[in-house]
Amino acid sequence: MSTSTNQTKGHSLDMANLGRDNKHLDINAEIPAFSVNDLRLSYGEKEALHGIDMIIPKKRVTAFIGPSGCGKSTLLRCFNRMNDLVDGCHISGEILLDEQNIYDKNVDVAELRRRVGMVFQKPNPFPKSIYENVAYGLRIQGIKKKRQIDEAVEWALRSAALWNEVKDRLHESALGMSGGQQQRLVIARTIAVKPEVLLLDEPASALDPISTLKIEELIHELKNEFTIAIVTHNMQQAARVSDYTAFMYMGDMVEFGDTDKLFTNPEKKQTEDYITGRYG
Amino acid sequence: MDLTKNAHSHHISQQFNSELEQLKNHLLEMGGLVERQVGDAINSLINADSDLAVSVRANDKKINQMELDIDEECTRIIARRQPAASDLRLVITASKAVMDLERIGDESAKIARQAIKLCEEGESPRGYVEIRHIGERVQRMTQAALTAFARLDVDAALAVAQEDKSVDQEYESAMREMITFMMEDPRSIKRVMNVIWSLRALERIGDHARNIAEGVIYLVKGKDVRHLSIDEMQREVERS
Repeated sequence: MSTSTNQTKGHSLDMANLGRDNKHLDINAEIPAFSVNDLRLSYGEKEALHGIDMIIPKKRVTAFIGPSGCGKSTLLRCFNRMNDLVDGCHISGEILLDEQNIYDKNVDVAELRRRVGMVFQKPNPFPKSIYENVAYGLRIQGIKKKRQIDEAVEWALRSAALWNEVKDRLHESALGMSGGQQQRLVIARTIAVKPEVLLLDEPASALDPISTLKIEELIHELKNEFTIAIVTHNMQQAARVSDYTAFMYMGDMVEFGDTDKLFTNPEKKQTEDYITGRYG
Repeated sequence: MDLTKNAHSHHISQQFNSELEQLKNHLLEMGGLVERQVGDAINSLINADSDLAVSVRANDKKINQMELDIDEECTRIIARRQPAASDLRLVITASKAVMDLERIGDESAKIARQAIKLCEEGESPRGYVEIRHIGERVQRMTQAALTAFARLDVDAALAVAQEDKSVDQEYESAMREMITFMMEDPRSIKRVMNVIWSLRALERIGDHARNIAEGVIYLVKGKDVRHLSIDEMQREVERS
């Protein structure tokens, strides 16, 4: 019976695949943007990351969750070497971006940070006009043609879902914008230089619910073009925006996998306890 | 990750603990009533006890109300707590089980209706042996499915699914027998049809008990085992 119903004649529907979703993600089938191999990081004597192995899949959203102090922000900052600026910070292991270890001596850190942009918890627009904020990275890159900059600014603001709100006041100060707008402006500034990866460190935790949803919608739009890694304290947010979720605890990667699976049937008890709000 | 017995306590929020606990209790309470309805319906039919049949039909309203209440509870928990992982699976399982329980209640009421009809027509027809036998089995299945839910017992849930298969076989052979009765004596058709409706209702009760048992497996293992054969189900459960 099963074979005959599958081959109903003259039916325009694909009976064999009806009702099946192909949405199950498989981390092993992903192309890595970053490959992290035995990454250890210590601040002075204290080790904060105890040998992390994972990949950040290309053009996907990867969320990092875990209690305060678990190392998720520290790990995120490793991806564009923000930890270099911290005194007494020592890193071993490797993070490969296009086969190259970003911690190699000959890596140009400024170029790395162009390829791997970052947005922080508090919006940090420059005390300049909206236009100049977005154009800033382009000017640093030495682009001088006004038309080229105009186009890039418009593209970035449109991509950040901000253009319609600001197109009539591009030359007003960015500091007059609302918090949610400022955060989207910062994202526009980051994507204007066409990075490959966007690192978002609690991008919505200082915003109201509506602005938060706008940022989440934006993340959803941007993943078509960029690889995104996001750290968030808000588990529902991680569940809403991400394709993959990594749960970290005390400097270890406890569980990393398909977000759907992790939020419905996690493998590890620690993960279960954290996402369901139990004391472990 | 498998669930242990007090899997739904230990939340940081005590309030959430007690909401989930209450949901489980309400479901089991409804289950208890439904289970009794099945037994009463069968007895009313076999003993031609129309008073009992009338009370079964009256109790069905209570069960319907319980379904509405528990469903509302599930919706409220989802809206206010955004449960995840095993908590989410508990709420989903409960809201499905409640539907199956309500259906079991409906089937029991159908049997009670047949009992009333048969009482009115007097003479006790053939086919009671089958009704008693299948009836006892599905009543035990309902009970076992609820116990499996209360104890988060996957093996017990699997046993219910297995039992359903053999009840289905028994139902098939009882049907053949009823057809023989009708061929032998066409005057009995009307009465035998009443018995057939009751047998059909009992068989459906078995199916609903199986659904509840499958829900228990989803709740404990996080695996959806609906529409699988018993062997496939077993393999899925063992594959951790």
